[in-house]
Amino acid sequence: MLKKFFNVGFEAIKVVERQACGLADISRYPLFAPDFISFLERSIPSHRHAKLAFSIVVMAGKPA
Amino acid sequence: MPHFREDEARSIIRAAYGRVSSESRAVAEAYYSADELERLPRDVVELALGVGNPLRHAALRPGETVLDLGCGAGIDTLLAAHAIGPSGRAIGLDMTPEMAERARRNAAAAGLGNVEIRTGFIEDIPLPDASVDVVVSNGVLNLSTRKSRVLAEAMRVLRPGGRISIADLVLDEALPEDVLKSPAALAG
Repeated sequence: MLKKFFNVGFEAIKVVERQACGLADISRYPLFAPDFISFLERSIPSHRHAKLAFSIVVMAGKPA
Repeated sequence: MPHFREDEARSIIRAAYGRVSSESRAVAEAYYSADELERLPRDVVELALGVGNPLRHAALRPGETVLDLGCGAGIDTLLAAHAIGPSGRAIGLDMTPEMAERARRNAAAAGLGNVEIRTGFIEDIPLPDASVDVVVSNGVLNLSTRKSRVLAEAMRVLRPGGRISIADLVLDEALPEDVLKSPAALAG
């Protein structure tokens, strides 16, 4: 993802926040029905349930 | 390789976001302070669908123009509008007409006159070159099948010296194929 920022010309690219996102976090979102959460629980190995993805915040600048 | 064509992805996302409803503050409370949430209409708080707080590091200043890519019901657009004050301009862009309409209603309910909501695609931002000081986005870039195009468009509309703050989800390890092919997973 950071490479994509670089490739279009951004500079001073940095990840200023990074936080694990697990099934419990995803369950908070109204976009996901309970049956989809169950599907994820079945489809993804249990050792990954606490860390399915990372929520990050990327900052960058356009050259002056 | 994307698991959905762009038109398929847009259709799935529009349908999911067009019908979503919520009476929970759980997502908003995970990323925003009580002070921030207190100044927002209830609908905005309950329909927070982002994955972080891109404004926390954006250091918005009075008078700036801020563009929120995929504004949804407007949580970051409205908070930006508060931060930049009446001399600034907060523009929310969303491709889902129902969401854009909610954001307009929410801006009106918040009494913010410096908010403009547009319906359109983040891959073709309907703004002139070098017209924005700050671009923010929250949990939206991962929904696009053309992420580099979105970033190139952000670069185009930013003024020289402008900044971008993007909150998004990334994977360290691929998810199973049947999850990646799921329309429900795409929409989230």
